This record gives sequence, structure tokens and C-alpha cells, in this order.
Amino acid sequence: MKIAMIGWEYPPFKAGGLATHCYGLTRSLSDKNVHVDFYMPKTKHSSNNDKSNLKIIEVGETEIFPYDRPDSKEIVGNFYEAVYYYNSLVVSKIEKNINKYGKYDAIHCHDWLTIKAGISLKEKLGIPLVLTIHSTEYDRAGWLYPNQWFIDIEKEGMQKADRVIAVSNFTKKVIVEKYGIDPNKILVVNNAVYPIAEGSKKEIVLFLGRLTIQKGAEFFLRAAQKVKDFEPDAKFVVAGAGDMLPRLINQAIDLGISDRTIFTGRLTEEEVKHIYSISSVYVMPSVSEPFGITALEAISAGTPTIASKTAGFSEAFKNCLRVDFWDTDEMANKIVSLLRYNPLHKTLADEGKREIDLFTWDSVADKTIDIYKGVT
Amino acid sequence: MTSVCMYFEVHQPMRLNKFSVFNIGKEDSHSEYFNRKLNEQIFTKVAKKCYIPTNNLLLELIRKHDGNFRVSFSLTGTFVEYCQEFMPEVLDSFKKLFRTGSVDMMEETYYHSLSSLYDEMDEFEDQVKIHRQMIKNIFNYKPRVFRNTEAIYDNRIAKKVADMGYKGILTEGTEKILGWRSPNFLYKPTNADIKVLLRNYNLSDDVGFRFSAQMWKGWPLTADKYANWMSQIQGDIINLFMDYETFGEHQWTETGIFDFLRHLPGEVLKHDHMDFVTASTAVEKYDAVGEIDVPWAISWADEDRDVSTWLGNDMQLACFNELKDIGRKIKEKKDTELLATWRKLQTSDHLYYCSTKGLADGDVHAYFSPYDGPYDGFINYMNILQDLKQKIQTF
Repeated sequence: MKIAMIGWEYPPFKAGGLATHCYGLTRSLSDKNVHVDFYMPKTKHSSNNDKSNLKIIEVGETEIFPYDRPDSKEIVGNFYEAVYYYNSLVVSKIEKNINKYGKYDAIHCHDWLTIKAGISLKEKLGIPLVLTIHSTEYDRAGWLYPNQWFIDIEKEGMQKADRVIAVSNFTKKVIVEKYGIDPNKILVVNNAVYPIAEGSKKEIVLFLGRLTIQKGAEFFLRAAQKVKDFEPDAKFVVAGAGDMLPRLINQAIDLGISDRTIFTGRLTEEEVKHIYSISSVYVMPSVSEPFGITALEAISAGTPTIASKTAGFSEAFKNCLRVDFWDTDEMANKIVSLLRYNPLHKTLADEGKREIDLFTWDSVADKTIDIYKGVT
Repeated sequence: MTSVCMYFEVHQPMRLNKFSVFNIGKEDSHSEYFNRKLNEQIFTKVAKKCYIPTNNLLLELIRKHDGNFRVSFSLTGTFVEYCQEFMPEVLDSFKKLFRTGSVDMMEETYYHSLSSLYDEMDEFEDQVKIHRQMIKNIFNYKPRVFRNTEAIYDNRIAKKVADMGYKGILTEGTEKILGWRSPNFLYKPTNADIKVLLRNYNLSDDVGFRFSAQMWKGWPLTADKYANWMSQIQGDIINLFMDYETFGEHQWTETGIFDFLRHLPGEVLKHDHMDFVTASTAVEKYDAVGEIDVPWAISWADEDRDVSTWLGNDMQLACFNELKDIGRKIKEKKDTELLATWRKLQTSDHLYYCSTKGLADGDVHAYFSPYDGPYDGFINYMNILQDLKQKIQTF
């Protein structure tokens, strides 16, 4: 079986869970004797690959940050142009490769940014199209002022794809209800994780993610303030970069917790692993979260996790704590409980690590292969 | 002759209010430990679905069969308090049943607690005595057979119960203690003079768990089919022990559970070699055929049939130890109000909610739990225990 997969990020270049997903999926597919050509925009870093069935093919010259929410008209114009340009380059590159090496059994796209290319290949060459939705425009906008331009592209892709893969039932529901897609062609495949080693735990409460409305870091800070008086030694780490960083720093000052809150900025992969490994509590207070791979990463490192109730992760994972993202009292109650009650911390860490074993890329690949077989 | 001994556990726990770490140490918070509204809601719902209709049906059946249909109950103290507080007519209907003479009442700890597993047996004895007093007040009766919380049993408990004057005690008929032997006889402990009734878990669970399971090869289970199965059994006694809520609550009316119960006495009594006995009659009528030795506690709960349901993980052990520790302190202080609160917190359900057992058992746990999982259960319960602990220190 031969698949053309179109993405836009791949480790070490990484802005979000999509890169992690594509990395795990393509490697496990290639172990299962599926030939994957992974197309992505050119980056400054070269992607590492040691799998013989897997080829990383970089296209064009632009780096695109699809999670950025363009504000000014000018940037928006450039941004859209860059996306169209990337898609058209991908189409011609794939056509060229087909002429040279033969046809693909299926095209597999990830999220809105690659949809145009997928549709045009399907329409021109009649190759079946599979589309994975890692997040929708509604998620990225935190359900406030979603951009119709993105929604239209997403909708067209979902309609034209032969199968849509949703990363959770939560996302499947959004695809059915907000995009009007037939539920029978949507399959849920949860994300997975390559486990991270556990380190020696410090009294650190961690937030890790893009600092955008979607990820809810402001609620983390409000909970931190409530924890402060109860756990005087606790430190709060906000790891990640994003357009909300200045506002969050001001918020921490206003809340009187700037002396115990650390803003790390963007971390390298090694630093990310380290901070997971030494944190005692991970909080994922996302306003909207189709899945939330970071929760799996934290738990694999022995860090109990408090996740937003609406996150796809918390519907799929038993051994975690769940809160409403806006309920910072309850979030604080759970943070304090985890810091204070060792048996709770230990049981969640142990049971969580056991459950993590169910979330392997190997099984994601198996499910994805079944879906390929259904369309070819 | 083979006797059928039907016994029903009737229990409702005192579910707790949401109690966060920020409530710990606040004044008067201990009066707010218990969620009166939720407890009333659940109690009245279950009363309408189960207690009242099933009591009515049993009364009708006992009359129809001239007292030859017999059953046994144990009512927990918390259950009786709910009756008195919310629906006295439920308790009246139990009294009516008892007056037929075909109904036996069994003893247990008033609070449906794990006090039989404490280091000392004094709290256990106290709670049994409170229950004894309650049964005397309501039914003017002194139970002769004891059943411990969820049939928890070991040699030490058997000895203690025998010393307290009971003639019988019931527990699970598990292979762990029986080996090749049949549960359909009475046994005695190696270390005490008391008869042990053993639950026939296959037949009991056919009704309690599998009745509505369409995947099960016995489905649909009818009274005549079930009576036929029992008639083929060699033995003195078939002990069918289950939650009373099986009728109308765990198994809904629509499953046909009431029709099953309605026809069961007639179908059993069709067989000349079969009758019904109460637990008290059973221990008079039959002799123990062998000894059982149970150094480690067993119970009727989950697949494991041990106490891991309540004491299976670190969170549960922490709560259990905290609970025992608080008790010692309260008893030193001799504070009756805090003592009463502490006792209500001993109800085993609070620990049950903190169980992290997976798969099939986990589903059962989730079904009964008012929490979003065991971890929330632990946080809430532990916060309350911490608050109570602070109360003792400040009194």
C-alpha cells in the first residue's frame, strides 16, 4: 500500500500536536509495510528519518505557522497566499512523483491547511481522500468569532473526503453538528504517545501549550492564585509561546503570583521532556481541545493531569482528574489535593502510566490502515 | 429436603456534599458533610421503584402460600434513618412483613461499616449493639443470625460474632474457602461455635447480575426454569443472597424481574423436596457438615471476593487509616456529636467509591458512585476527614 500524506509540520519542526501525530503515525505505518510519502513545507531544520518505507518530501520555501491568528489585513493576505501557494506546489510535486513512480492508493490530509491540495488531487486523478481533523476553526478560536474562510475550506474538505478521521468523539460531534457531515463516514482514532521518562518530582504545577485563547492559560493562573496560600512552596510554570504572553504576564502580576510563576517561552523538545518529568501536576484547562496529546505526554512521565472536561482526552482517558475550564475553584481544589495527598498522587501516577500503554502509535496505525483499506 | 434461603441486603449510604480543600477548618462545616437533598432524592426514587412494590409483592406471596414462602432481611441503620426521615410508610411495610412470621431480620453493623477490620473489635461490637437496639425498638426482636457488611468474613470476625451470642453468620460461598466442597450445606469455623451460611454465588448472580443480560445463555430466566435448576441440586440449603435493590432498581420492572419473583415461590414449592427457610430456621434445622478456615477476609464483592473493593489501593488505605486514627482521638475526647459524625463516615460506600478496579468491576463501581470517578471520590472524602480531624483538635 502506498500513501501520499500531506502535512505541514514534522519534528523537529513543531507547533502543535499535529506534528507529533504525523511523526508517530508515519513511523508506525512504515513499520507495518505501508509506503508513505510525507509532503510538507520546506523548513530550516532537516527532518530526521530512519525508516525505509517513509520519505519526507519538502516542498517550496515558505514556513507557515497555521496556528497564528492573523490580525492585520496585510498579513492575512500574505498568509492566505502562502497557503494557496503551498497547496499548488504540493499538487504539482505529487503529480510529478506519480508520473515517475506510479499512483498512490490514497491521499491523506491533515487539517485545513492541506485540504485544497487533497481535493484537487482527488478530483483530477480520482485518488481516494482521507482527511484527519486535529482541530477545527471553532476550537482554535476558542468558540469566539471563528473565521468563515477557514470554516469554508474545512467544510469543503470534509464533504469531499471519502473518510474523515476525528481525534475524539468530541471532535466528531463538532464535525457532524457544525459542519453537517454524515456521521457514518467519520471515524474516531484517538492520539497516542511515545512515553517520556519520569524524573525526580519537584513541587511544580505545569501548564504547557500555545498561549492562545484556545488553551486557557488564564484559567490556570487564576487557579494558581487560589492555590498559593494553601501550598506556599508550589511553583507554577507556564511553558510555551503565543500571542497572549504579554497579557498573561500582566495577569500574573495583577494576581500577585509573579514571584512564583515562571514563563519559559518556547521550549526545545529536550526541555519539554524535562519539565514534564519533574512536574508534580499537569493542568490542561483548554477552552476547546479536540484531543490534547500533551496530557498523554505528562501522564507518561508520571505526572497526574487535570484536564478540561470537554477535551477529547478526558473522554478517552480514565485515570485523570476532570474540571470545567472556567471552574478555577475546583481546579485549585484538585491541584492542592494532588500536592497534599500523596496516595492520590501515587495512585493517579501509577494507574495513569498503566493506562498509557493502551495509547500507542502502533494501534493508531492499525486503525488508520483499516480506514485506508475501506476506501481503496 | 433442600431448603431455599433468600436473603436481601437493604442499604442506602449517606452520600456526601461537595467538600473542597478550601472548606477544611471552616466553622460548622461538619453539619454539612452529608448531602441531604441528594440522599432524599435517591432514597425516594429507590423506594418507589423497589422497596414499596417489592415489599407489597412479598406480602402478597407470603399470604398466598400460607406462610410457606419465607425471606430474610438485614436493614442497615442508615437505611432505617432514611425511612424515618423521608418515608415512614416504607418502614411500616417492613413491620407488616415481619408480623407474618415468615420474615426474619438479621443483625449487622448499624453503619454498614468496615469496623470488623479494625485493629480492635470494640467499635465493631458497639455498632452491632446499636443495630441490635434498633431492631429491638422497631420489631421487638433479637436477631440470631449475623451478616457483616457485604458478607465480609474471616476467622476473627466469626469468633467475635459467636462470642456475641449469634447462632449463625453468612458469607460468600467462594472456592477460596471451600475448595471442592459445595456451598449448599452449613459449615462451622475452625475456631468458633457458630454455623456459617454460604452464598451460592452462581444462582444468586443469575438473578442479581445476569437476569437481564441477553448475551447470557440462561436468558430469559423464568421462575420455572430457575426452580428446576435448584431442584436438581444436591444439598441441604441453597442460599440466594442479593441486594434488595435487584428488584426494580438494578433490574428494572421492564426486565420482568417482578414477574419472575411473583412466580418463584409457586414454582419452587411445586417440587415436593423443596421448601423455603429463613436464616434463623436454617441454622436450627441443619447441622454443619464441615469446617472452614478463613484467615484472610473474604466478601461477596467484585470478582475478587475479598476486601480489595474497599482497601485495594493507596487512596483507600490512606482513608481507612485516617478514619481509624480519627476514631481513637474522638474516643479519647469522649465527644458524642463528633462520634456520631465519625460513625456515619465509616459507611463502607465512601471507600467503595475510591476503588480503581478496572474493566467489568469498574463499571459496577461507576454505576453506584455519585462521583466522577474514584479520584474525585477520594478528594471529597479525604477533605472531609481532614476537616473532622481539625474539629477534634479544636474542641
